[in-house]
Amino acid sequence: MGEIVFKNICKSFGETKVIEDLNLTIRDGEFTVLVGASGCGKTTLLRMIAGIGPATSGELYIDGEEISDVPPGKRGIAMVFQNYAIYPTMTVKGNIEFGLKNRKIPKAERETLIAEVAETVGLTPYLKRKPSELSGGQRQRVALARAMVKKPKVFLLDEPLSNLDAKLRVSMRTELIELHHRLKTTFVYVTHDQTEAMSMADTIVLMDRGKIQQMASPMEIYNDPNNVFTAQFIGTPPMNIQKMKDGKHQLGYRAEKVQLSETKPDLLYARKAVVLTREMLGSETIYKLQLEEADDGSGKTAVMAKTPNLMFEVDSRVYIGVDRKDLYYFDEEGRRLRGDGISPSLEKMTAEGGES
Amino acid sequence: MKHKQFRIGKLVLPYVMILPAVALLAVFTFYPLFNMVYLSFFKYDMLTPKKFVGWDNYYQLFFVNIDFIAALKNTVFYTLGVIVFMISLALIFALWLQRSTWVNAIVQRFMFLPHICAMLTVAMVFQWLMDDRGLFNAVLSVFNLPALRWLNSSHTALLSILIVAIWKGVGYYALILLSSVKSIPPELLEAADLDDAGKLRTFFKITLPMLSPQLFFLLITITINSFKVFDAVRIMTGGGPGNSSDVLVFYIYRQAFNYSKYGLSAAAGTILLLILLVMTVIYFRILGKRVHYQ
Ligand SMILES: Nc1ncnc2c1ncn2[C@@H]1O[C@H](COP(=O)(O)OP(=O)(O)OP(=O)(O)O)[C@@H](O)[C@H]1O
Ligand SMILES: [Mg+2]
Repeated sequence: MGEIVFKNICKSFGETKVIEDLNLTIRDGEFTVLVGASGCGKTTLLRMIAGIGPATSGELYIDGEEISDVPPGKRGIAMVFQNYAIYPTMTVKGNIEFGLKNRKIPKAERETLIAEVAETVGLTPYLKRKPSELSGGQRQRVALARAMVKKPKVFLLDEPLSNLDAKLRVSMRTELIELHHRLKTTFVYVTHDQTEAMSMADTIVLMDRGKIQQMASPMEIYNDPNNVFTAQFIGTPPMNIQKMKDGKHQLGYRAEKVQLSETKPDLLYARKAVVLTREMLGSETIYKLQLEEADDGSGKTAVMAKTPNLMFEVDSRVYIGVDRKDLYYFDEEGRRLRGDGISPSLEKMTAEGGES
Repeated sequence: MKHKQFRIGKLVLPYVMILPAVALLAVFTFYPLFNMVYLSFFKYDMLTPKKFVGWDNYYQLFFVNIDFIAALKNTVFYTLGVIVFMISLALIFALWLQRSTWVNAIVQRFMFLPHICAMLTVAMVFQWLMDDRGLFNAVLSVFNLPALRWLNSSHTALLSILIVAIWKGVGYYALILLSSVKSIPPELLEAADLDDAGKLRTFFKITLPMLSPQLFFLLITITINSFKVFDAVRIMTGGGPGNSSDVLVFYIYRQAFNYSKYGLSAAAGTILLLILLVMTVIYFRILGKRVHYQ
């Protein structure tokens, strides 16, 4: 068990409001990833769950129980800190054992638990070492082991992989996913890396300046973004967003849905463009293209395209086209328009944009 | 050829550069040190020629003049007292002052003030405060407590000096500890909180080990400084009443400058040197292992 519910949560540091009226349910047993730009309040949220940075107002429930008054050590929570926070004066074993000793678990049982967890994370040969004698990756495993050994109902992980090199990061990612499959407990994982979020999450919670922009599965958040922020945050390169002819509405399309051709394509959205740069990735090529004139008449504007087609040279003139079903419409405030919200006049504007 | 000369120059240069410092050390530290040990085997009063007496000075100190043993005992007692009280008080103040509020900032500055005062002035002020009709007794009488005789009683004379030493030093040592208390990452304490460690356990298992290098430094400097206590004793009690507040360095001073027994004085000095050497070695051997360096 380990369902976490935030109800009207606010948090301020002195005068500055970091989180305002947040409502969120983190489902039991899921791998939830909190993602957002630096400073958006991810760590703040985790610290509230842990109880080490309490909310200014609002209610926080774990498994239906209001826990504002429960001390951090009694919440059944383990946290891996952004900078690990392993105890430098203790050995690896001491670090893992500390929480168990505090809970007065008998020595024999402690030894078994430590041996077990050390084996899982591959720390057995290092148990006697001090943290200063370990590599970054090993330290990260110590932090993980210290959390795992407590068998918590909720795991909180604050950017645990951000200090690792690219290769180690990828392998730790898989290990963490496997760990989650094995333990089947609630994981709340913080990152500012959207690829990490996409590859690990059951549910992504995307935040911006203390507000939740969207909460959905990786596929849904990618295919069906609620707003411009989500559309641009998730996916590389970010979604192309263009102001429409009326200067109010916004039109979006993913780089990977852009079709390039030499003749004008028979698609709802078709524009003339010039190739600015070409970046070949092997299976795909990323083009940066320039439209002569943006739809709202504000001059030149750049768009990205990602396609297997690598035949277009820099400076060559091409047509870009996007299928009707791959177009996203947003209103003035950046909110997504769906179904009936997309009026025929909007589509007409889309088509007309290419006429001038 | 030219190349080689350049290299020799490079080899010699560091030695040339530390030469002034080494020369000063040699003249003012090493020479007196060796000379002291050398003198301790002689009978010497600066007027008549030195006379070699072997171990006789040491024999005198330990088996003839009982006042040396008394001074030694007092010094050890005083040092132990200063170590225990100074370190615990400094630690308490450091923990108390760790939160950065404006009150704490002011308190911190005031606590440091005694450190920059000369011991001479401090001793004289305390002598006045500890007078039979001084402020301390006035305060005691407000609370209906019996007056103490402070410096004039053989029971409290050494204690009074200890109080002065702690008053003068605690702010400085608290400041040293404070800077390292503040440098403990707060996440460590939060992690301990999540590990369900109580306040006391967090203090003994996290905070104290994190401070161990500074505590170790304090232990050594305080030990050395306390063994060398002199000016407060000289001014406030003159070692009295009787020799109840006599200490090693004051004993050494008296033998040399009051009685012109330079040999005896040198022997006492040599013993002080040996004690400090042995203490330091013991500290490093026994405690050094338990100190955690980052
Ligand atoms: N102790 C504090 N005092 C004042 N402001 C704070 C404090 N802690 C955090 N903040 C502010 O709260 C906001 C959210 O901080 P938080 O640490 O939650 O960001 P984050 O999303 O974890 O960022 P990052 O990805 O960089 O770790 C930031 O704007 C930060 O400046
Ligand atoms: Mg953070």
